[in-house]
Amino acid sequence: MKEIIKITFALTISCVVAASAMGLTYTLTAKAKKHNHHMNVQNAMLDLLGYGEDNPAPSDLQFLRIYRYIIREDGRQFMGYMVPVEKDGDIAYEMVMMDLEYNFLKKFEVPISLEEALEVHDRAKALEKVFEPNQSFSYADAAVVAVAGGDRVGYILPGQFPGFRTFIHALVAMDPNFELLGLEIMEHEEDAGLGAEIEEDYFKNQFEGVTYDKLKTLEVVKKPLPGDYKKYLEREQLKEGALTKEEITEIQKKYKNQDIYAITASTISSVAVTNGVKNTAKKFAYRIDKLDTVLDKQNIQTAF
Amino acid sequence: MSTTTKSNTQLFVDGILKENPIFKLALSMCPAVGISTSVMNGILLGTAVLFVQVFSSCTISIVRNYIHPKIRIPTYTLTIATWVTVIDLVLAAYVPVAYNAMGMFVRLIVAFAIITMRLEMFACKEPLVKSFVDGVGMGLGFMVGMVALGVVRELLGSGELLGYDVLGFQPLLFFILPSAGFFVVGLMMAFFNWIEVVHNRKKEG
Repeated sequence: MKEIIKITFALTISCVVAASAMGLTYTLTAKAKKHNHHMNVQNAMLDLLGYGEDNPAPSDLQFLRIYRYIIREDGRQFMGYMVPVEKDGDIAYEMVMMDLEYNFLKKFEVPISLEEALEVHDRAKALEKVFEPNQSFSYADAAVVAVAGGDRVGYILPGQFPGFRTFIHALVAMDPNFELLGLEIMEHEEDAGLGAEIEEDYFKNQFEGVTYDKLKTLEVVKKPLPGDYKKYLEREQLKEGALTKEEITEIQKKYKNQDIYAITASTISSVAVTNGVKNTAKKFAYRIDKLDTVLDKQNIQTAF
Repeated sequence: MSTTTKSNTQLFVDGILKENPIFKLALSMCPAVGISTSVMNGILLGTAVLFVQVFSSCTISIVRNYIHPKIRIPTYTLTIATWVTVIDLVLAAYVPVAYNAMGMFVRLIVAFAIITMRLEMFACKEPLVKSFVDGVGMGLGFMVGMVALGVVRELLGSGELLGYDVLGFQPLLFFILPSAGFFVVGLMMAFFNWIEVVHNRKKEG
């Protein structure tokens, strides 16, 4: 009997020590970890929009975020878009509530700063203060609108879709006309040498320049990647002068709106990414169009 | 209270050659077969395992007189899990470049047999310094094994080394698939054993 008490005591102590060590480390490192993650995403977004060392971003470039929520009230479902609006020369957040047919219902201010709104928990706390007790809300997804000089420069959509192994997290960038600007794979667990090739330039750069019309019917073809196209896709890694400007423009024209060439022995991953990009882009284009109509009609002065 | 008669140098070298975890002790075959598809994977995972092994060995060696014999394995698992979590969090916060590359691998280490077995066979009986040296030897032995496998599989499977196109073509895609992992590990085990037989024969002759 004494033995079992000793064992229980020893196990409890060990677990408490282990949990304290892990908890302490987490508390000390959480802020730095979030900051690094945020910088990663920021750099990826700037890169997708085409800004870099040779093309510095405009000083007034801003990444504004629209947060989509599902709202339930008395058994009925509604949509809520938390949008940044102009208010007294500054930017504040307003929740625009609509029914499922995008008919405007009401809007109200959300007391939260741009900085705080980046965290889903802080948003939830602020929203709880402004929603009625009989309303419940759940976060759906976010979209980033890049604005500079008072115009929209592009849209960046964080997307999540099933791959060959688990989920693939990516950023899909589109210009204001919904033409694809590029794709960046943020997280995946595909196999090295096979599905992991979706991170390589020769695959993900194929999505650059696909127009919205072509995007709706974009397919994956199991054919070998043509040599000149591969060179063009990997041009950033090649030495200076490997491709002349004329050659680049010519290859660009030749393969504009071409279907996606699959990665050898990784058709499933290639199709997963293509479908993921298609769905993310199509859903967003539909939603932003409807949202813009509502915002226009209601004369809501958005910051984008 | 030490039961081993080996010197520290002997412990260190044995971990890499005579008692190599993958090719001689046949431990942690899961990563050896599944993740050794490239040299970079081998280096990253090997580094992570090295740190976890050393920290875990030292921790268990320090508290070895207080571990209740009936709950040894849960204690080892708790120690390993704690160190893996700490390393994962610290990397993510302060070395983001390394974390982006090997974050995925670090979390897998909790299930590796090599670390638990080493704690059971060595660290719970030996003093701190010897456990530390043994941990370093085993960790490096694992890294050497993974890199050796990675060189063979990456070169023959995708024609590259460390991501650089060396051959310009892919000889046999089969080598990147999981089944090839078994083949290559088996062949390298045979090779290691053959080297030892030849070495012993030379010593006698």
